[in-house]
Amino acid sequence: MRAFLLGTLDRDHKAQFEERILTESSVYEELLIDEEELIDQYVTGGLSALEREQFESHFLITAERQKNLRFGKLLYKYAISQVDLTVRGPSPIPVRSFSFLRAPVRRWASLGLVAALVGAAGIIIIRGFVNRREAASVVQETTSVVTVTLQPGSSGTQASTAQRVNLPPRGVEVKLELELTHSTFRNYKSELFRENKSLKISDELTIESKGEQRVVPFTVTGEMLSPGDYQVKLSGVLDSGADEFIDNYPFRVIE
Amino acid sequence: MNKNWSLSQEAFDALLDWLDSDRELAGVKYEQIRSRLIKIFTGRGSIDPEELADETINRVTSKLTEIQNEFTGDRARYFFGVANKVHLEYLRRKTPQPQSALTDAVRAELEFRCLERCIAWLSEEDRDLLLKEYGAKGQTQADRRKALADELGISLNALRIRVYRIRTALKECIEKCIQDSL
Repeated sequence: MRAFLLGTLDRDHKAQFEERILTESSVYEELLIDEEELIDQYVTGGLSALEREQFESHFLITAERQKNLRFGKLLYKYAISQVDLTVRGPSPIPVRSFSFLRAPVRRWASLGLVAALVGAAGIIIIRGFVNRREAASVVQETTSVVTVTLQPGSSGTQASTAQRVNLPPRGVEVKLELELTHSTFRNYKSELFRENKSLKISDELTIESKGEQRVVPFTVTGEMLSPGDYQVKLSGVLDSGADEFIDNYPFRVIE
Repeated sequence: MNKNWSLSQEAFDALLDWLDSDRELAGVKYEQIRSRLIKIFTGRGSIDPEELADETINRVTSKLTEIQNEFTGDRARYFFGVANKVHLEYLRRKTPQPQSALTDAVRAELEFRCLERCIAWLSEEDRDLLLKEYGAKGQTQADRRKALADELGISLNALRIRVYRIRTALKECIEKCIQDSL
């Protein structure tokens, strides 16, 4: 049935199968269900590269199936959002709360509140930090990994007010946790820049929950960082494999 | 077939009579044959499978006087033979079709709103089931389904049918919601 849907069934078997579609109700009903499941597998990345190609070139030829794919993507996007949101607390998030987060003004207000809370937490933590002269983002050190939480800064953050990060020791890994306001992607892609020069790209990144905040972890080596201004560009990876820009995360490394 | 031939009420009634003497059953059989022909033409890569299915039905109807006393067996099989001929002719005259236009952001927003509204109308059980379909990350669709079927105490096939019906109802609701909003 899958071969029929993807257009790879040989001529003889195809003719036999087509006749069964016309004469056997169970075969036809199974075909309808398999169509939906194939769409789901495409949307959730469950098809091989070859199957994806066959799906796009053969399966999607009719307007009806294109419409069904659109529905599948919509449902997937919604379901993923709900799964991510329910991770944040014990009670289910009402359906309408998703609209609330998607309203631009309120979203930025929510972001501001989160940023303020994180900022306040940061101020408390950095009091015990070695470098007390500069404000810094929340930094936790372990023996080999330094974790830095970054807030999105596409709303006009200037380099002079970018988050400040202490120069990490050599030989450690720096885990940059990129905060998200909401998430609709299964995979993410991050790219670290210094003065428009790309230093590192990572894709197939997935969300982690950090308390009530969701972050995308992006790890770089301490050797990549020296005093100066940096920026991380975060994108969501679409089902087609293309990227969709989400936000920039500027930060300044200080000695 | 005469290109000017069109399906009259009288011809359509004759077709239904040929499919089944019970008019209600004949109507069901007609719908079944049409929807299955659409799937067959879709499987063959036809861009407009509905048109080819209708053309097939029209041709069968136009030949009824010749075949109704001669053809025996499952009527659906006769449609299959005619469908093959219709498809061959289609391949000869096929022209490239334009790609469908991308949906704009306004429509995407509307679709999402309608999805939220329609999902809210589902029973809690159906809504949970649908969301769990995409639940645990890193699991394949088959793994998720198996875990869900075990949890619900139903067979895998029963679960597949149930999910399909919920999705179909949801899809219809969204389409209606979009139509009403336009």
